[in-house]
This record gives sequence, structure tokens and C-alpha cells, in this order.
Amino acid sequence: MWDSFLEGAQLCLRFDTFGMISLGLLLGMLVGALPGFTTVMAMAILLPISFFLHPLVGIPFLIGVYKGGIFGGSISAILVSIPGTGAAVATIFDGPALTKKGQARKALEMALYASVFGDFSSDVLTLFFIGPIALIALKVGPPELAAIVLLSLVIISTTATGAAVKGLIMCFIGLLFSMVGQDPLGFMSRFTFGIFAIKAGIPLLPMLIGVFAIPEILAAIEGEVSSFITERVDLSKVGERLKYEEFRRCFRTILRSTGIGSALGACPGVGQVVAAFVGYASAKKASKHPETFGKGELEGVAAAEAANNAVNGPTLVPLLTLGIPGDNITAILLGAFIAQGLRPGPRLFAEHGPTVFALLVAMLLANVLFLILGYLTVPVFAKIVTVRKSILLPVITIFAFAGSYVFRSDPFDLEVLVFFGALGYVARKLKFDVSPMVMAFILGPILEYSFGQTLSLAGGNLLHYVFVDRPFAAAIFALIPVVSVLFAVRAVRRRHKVAAHNSRMKGGEVSGVS
Amino acid sequence: MKSKNIFRFLLVGLIVVFVFAGTVLGATYPKKPITMIIPLGAGGSHDLNARVFTSVIPEYLGQAIVVKLMPGAGGQTGTAAAVRAKPDGYTLIFTHNYIDQLQPLIEKLPYDTTKALRTVWALNYGPPVFFSRSDKPWKSLDELLDHGRKNPGKLQFAHTGKWGAGFTPGALVLTKAGVDAQFIPYKGGGPALQAILAGDGDFSVGFPAQTLPLYRAGKLRLFAISAEKRLKEAPDVPTLKELGYTSGVMYRIIMAPRKTPDDRVKVLREAFRKLYEDKTFKNLMAKLGENMEYMDGPDYEKVRAEQKKQYAELIEKITGEKPKGK
Repeated sequence: MWDSFLEGAQLCLRFDTFGMISLGLLLGMLVGALPGFTTVMAMAILLPISFFLHPLVGIPFLIGVYKGGIFGGSISAILVSIPGTGAAVATIFDGPALTKKGQARKALEMALYASVFGDFSSDVLTLFFIGPIALIALKVGPPELAAIVLLSLVIISTTATGAAVKGLIMCFIGLLFSMVGQDPLGFMSRFTFGIFAIKAGIPLLPMLIGVFAIPEILAAIEGEVSSFITERVDLSKVGERLKYEEFRRCFRTILRSTGIGSALGACPGVGQVVAAFVGYASAKKASKHPETFGKGELEGVAAAEAANNAVNGPTLVPLLTLGIPGDNITAILLGAFIAQGLRPGPRLFAEHGPTVFALLVAMLLANVLFLILGYLTVPVFAKIVTVRKSILLPVITIFAFAGSYVFRSDPFDLEVLVFFGALGYVARKLKFDVSPMVMAFILGPILEYSFGQTLSLAGGNLLHYVFVDRPFAAAIFALIPVVSVLFAVRAVRRRHKVAAHNSRMKGGEVSGVS
Repeated sequence: MKSKNIFRFLLVGLIVVFVFAGTVLGATYPKKPITMIIPLGAGGSHDLNARVFTSVIPEYLGQAIVVKLMPGAGGQTGTAAAVRAKPDGYTLIFTHNYIDQLQPLIEKLPYDTTKALRTVWALNYGPPVFFSRSDKPWKSLDELLDHGRKNPGKLQFAHTGKWGAGFTPGALVLTKAGVDAQFIPYKGGGPALQAILAGDGDFSVGFPAQTLPLYRAGKLRLFAISAEKRLKEAPDVPTLKELGYTSGVMYRIIMAPRKTPDDRVKVLREAFRKLYEDKTFKNLMAKLGENMEYMDGPDYEKVRAEQKKQYAELIEKITGEKPKGK
């Protein structure tokens, strides 16, 4: 194996490999930053280019698009509150708030460094532990997936801010929205009221743009300030860079998120969005000052971005070792592999060892190029927020609508955008946080599907099946009450501390922070 | 800029003249890129096949075919869009027989695919393969079905989505054999295959592109293939016909709105015919592991008419009700 590795490392040190990875990264960032264009779409369109290139040029090119795209989504999330891709949803919690404080460049740099770190570490892990990761991937079936998603939900929901009842209400609404359309198991229509357009369910991207971007635009209009930056800051300092201490302060969070992302990435069917949510929630939980999260905390951006990029490496494992694509992105990569005559599967490493290792090394190289290109482009992107609002707002509005449309080219999606824009605006005015709704909307269907599958697999004896036949799932289920109790105890303790602190301050009101 | 406008003006004028003269408009088609809707997601076998032929066909068509992915509701979102499209030859749909003929039988849909769409070309077909993990006790399809008959409700069929390309062939064989099996849904071929490898589910139905490498590595046992003849790559796997069953195949078909002018459909068919002589196309399709068994539009229309009857019977057997759609 070591020989093939070294041979592979030499194979990919080619000028055209470097060039095409860079091109792929730039295209990916651009496409990711444009709302509505997803990384998957970009890769599908660019796939045929790889057919006619050398395997060590064409496939790294697509990997570049993949990596660049996942990061690109966070650019528009941070700057204008539009998640460029689904994976950037958790970045919205803190990114735009930082922009308003005039720290757009800092946030973007944090996102870049966290992304690169998460990506690089998970690639290294993948390279060295490809065997064990493949074993884990096989162990995760429907019951395990259901348990993991449930555990994720518990972690996420215990860290929600604001009134618990309001959070629950929004969570419930999100679940309800996620059920509209054909049910995933039996293909029967439900909650569609006979409307054909929503039979496919409510589309995710128009909904995300609706609830996050539209209220932001409306609020900016109400605010009547001439710039997007609401707090009084020295405009010449807008381009302030990330300081080393700030990165070091977030380093633990980045490490934690990388671990979470890599672990969840090894479980097929979980994906970047869940990883970003869990990474964010855990960072908030571990923080000494959770109250700053959601109000422009650099650590929040770091947590979400490291986690969603760390998923990238391990998701390739089932593809390489078994020839099974876990999601749409790996399915496209599978196409690129087989069009080159490299058929992923158990014999891939035996037959094409050096080439496969060359590809893995190219992935690592892509991260280095990613860092350089990101470093060079971030200042350009950061300038966007200094544009006058009277010009910027109409442009963002156009992008919000265009982005919702190009996603599926269905005019109905514009109605979805307007509906969720209005909903998001009303929720904001009534001080309801929309993020529990979005989380439930994304996680609900995964949970429903895996639970339904588990029921079928159990053949009528659910408890016996989960706790006797699936020890791995049972272990995760057993973790859920443990984690809940642990979190509850911690929250109570913190409340006591805050209360004690406040009473010492005399007359200090007990804050609603928990 | 100005000269371009004049050029356009002349062009439009010419077209008007041609239309009024009612002459060789078809000869000038296609004048702009053609949109081809795929009612399925990115990275699936339709997507991959389309990426291959759309990268070669401009040479023979003189224009590009642009893929537009419109997934949703098991293919119905994209199909509805194709049905609504202007029948001018600039919108096509790349679909398969279960979306085209089976889905309209299951529930009432706002369109009738048979009336609204006509076949341009059937690109190739995916032959369904029946398989289990290699350590399962049954060694042939008959043994598998026997096991199912002896243990009613116990045999687990890990399928790739209800009424889909892997589900329907499996269900056809199970109903014919009189096996009461448990249907476990997975989100497509990848997850179902992974489940089988992990030991969840007793058997599944997939396609050679994914199963052959694992078969060669000794991880899967293939019982039968639904095709006219045995696969070159796996000559010891019998066809379903040899075993006394029929289940059909998944045709990848390019269709156009019914009212698309004949001369334009002819242009498209000619381009597709030439494609099958193209070296790059042959080479890429071979690497994908796909066959090149095409069917011209009129030939496929005959197959299409028979599918409806077969599917109606299947639905009645599985659900115990007469098909709701038309």
C-alpha cells in the first residue's frame, strides 16, 4: 500500500492537475455563492468535461468544484443572509450578524480557515482509515440512522435560544411542512389538497431563501440606514482581518466540529446540513458564553463551516471501496470514475492502486490550493457589503428570486419564496426564531424515512429488533437519555450561576439566558 | 451591435417568408439548443447516460442538447413540465417506462402521457438483475422464491422505491411466484445495494453497472437477469425467461410532446441513428457498462402499448384494487 501511495503522490504532481483543481475551486465557489445554483448542479453540468481529460486531471477538477461549492455557499450566507447551498444554513445563524457589525471579512476568513481545516483533516483521516470507515459505513442501516438523527435533534433542540415554547411551536410547524407531498415510503399524497405543484413536497432552497433573506431585506428597508452595516463602525475598518488570537480561541471548536463532521460523514445518509447543525449546537453547548451565539459569534461560523466541510472526505469511502454512491455528489463522481475506466468497487485499489492514491493526494492538494485561492478572493467578496444599500438591496432581491427559480426552473417556486418570505417576516416581528422550523424541516424527513424502514425491517417486533439485533443502534438510543440528562443538569447549574451572579449584582434582573 | 440587429431582422423576415410559403422549415431545425428535461435527480443512471450522449450529439445535430434536471414526485414534476411544453421540437424529456406508463395508473395525474408524449428514440435499456449477498442460503432464484413461499411475510425485498425501476420487476416476479414478501423501501439503487451488503434484506433488484463489480469480487450472488440474452460479463447467470418468468426491462427513452412536427422528430431520429456509429459514444457507453440496444420511435411505441396492460394487472394484484388512473 505504501508503494502505491508514493507512486500515486508522484503521479498527481502535474501542472495541469494543479491548474484544473484551481479552476474547479473557483467555479465551485462562484456557483456556491450564487443562490439557487447548487454544488450538485454545477458538478452535473461540468461532468462531461472530465470525460475528455486525463483521469488525474478530470476527477480532481470535479473534486475542486465540490470543495469550492460547499465553501461558496457560506459566502452569500455571511454577506447577505442567503444560503448559497443547503449546507450553509447553520452559517446563517452568526454570519450575517457579524456582517452587520462590520466584520464581514473576519467572518469570511474564519469560514475559509475552518472549512479548509475541516476538509484537510477529514481527508487525511479518510486516507489512513479507509478500511475502518468502510466498515462503519456498512454498519449504519436504517435503525442506526434513525438513532443518529434523533440524537442530533436532541442535541440541537436543547441549545435553542429564546422561549422554549416558541421553539417547539416552530419545530412543529417545520415538521408539518416537511410532510407535505408524497410520503417517502408508500408514495401516497398527503397534505397536498389536490394541488399538483406541491406533490413533490416543499422545495428546500426557495424556502430557505424565503425565511432567511426576505425578512432581512425587509428589515433593512425599515431600518433606513444607507449601508448594510447597522452598528456604528469605522467604515475604513470594514476589511479588518481575522486575528491569530481569534483563530486560536476558536481552535477547540474547529477541532470538535471536524470530529463531528468526519464521524457523521462516515454514516451514509446524514450529510452536511445535519453535521453543520450538530457542530454548531455542540459549540454553543460547550461555550462559556452561549448567549453570544446567534448574535454574531465567530465561533459559531467556525463550528458550522468546519463541520460541513469535514463531511466531504468520509463520504467518498463507500464510493471507493464498494462502488456505492451515498448521495448525489458521489453519484456524479462515480460517473466520472467509470467514464475513465476506473470502476469503483472492492477491486479498485488492487487494480488501480497508484491512480486512486494519486486522486486522494490530489484531494489534499486541492485543500492547499483552496486555502490560497480563498485567501485571495475573500477581500473581493467582503467589499460587497460596502456597496450602498439602495443599490445592494434590489440586487439581493433579484438574486433571491432568480435563485429560487433556477433551482428547478419551476415558476411555482417563486410563490413558495414569497409565502415563506412573508412567514419569516411575521415570525421575526413576533420574535419567533425560524431556525427550529428549518432544522425540523430538514431532519424530519430523514427521521421519518429511516424510522419507516426500521419498522418494515423489524417485521412487527420493533423492540426486539432494535435492542437485540441491532446493538449499535441500541447503543445510540441509550445515549439519548444520558445526553439529555447531562445537558439538563448543565443548564440548571448555569442558570443557578447566572442567578447567583445577578443577585450579587443587586437588583440585576435574571436574564432569560439558559 | 447594429449589424447584428439587421442580421436578426433579416433572419426573422426570412423565417416569416418560409412559414408563409409552408416550405423547408424542418430543414433548418434545430436553430438553437434543445432543452431535455430529466425528471430524475443528478447522478442517477439517466443523468449519466444523458451526460454521455449530449456530449457527443452536437456533432450530428448541429446544436447542443441542454440537460435540465427536474426531479420531484417520483418523476411527475418533470413529466408535467414536458407535457406543458411547446411542441416545437425544442423541449424533450428523457424518461423511463415506469414514469411513462406505470405511474399514471396508480393515481389521477393532470396529464395523460400516452396522449401527450410521443417517442423520439429509445436509447438503451437497463436489464434488472436479481441478487443477494453471497452468504445467503439460497443459490438460485427458485430456491429464493421457495424460501419465500415457505415463510410467508418473512422474505425481505429491499427495493429502490415504490413503483420504481427496481421495485416493479421484483414485484412482478414475486406476484407470479405467489410469494408474500415484505417490501422494504430504500432511496434508490445505492442505498439498497448497501443494505444487501450489510446483511439487511434478503434480496434486491438492481442493474449490472453497480452489481457486476461486487459479483466479480465474490460479495454478491446474481440469480437472474431480465434480458433477451445472458450478459457477456456474467455468462452463468440465467435470464428470467429461461426460468419461466417475465418482468420487462427499464427503457431509457427520449420523448417529445405529441404535436411536435414529424419533420423535426425525423431530424432528431437521424442524429440519434448516427450516434450509434460514433466511436467516442460507443467507447463511453461501454465504460459505463450500458448496452447500445436502441429502438426507433415507432418500434418503441408498439412496446409501449403492451406495457400498460402488464402494469395494470400488476397493480391490481399488489393493491387488490383496479388501477385508479387511466
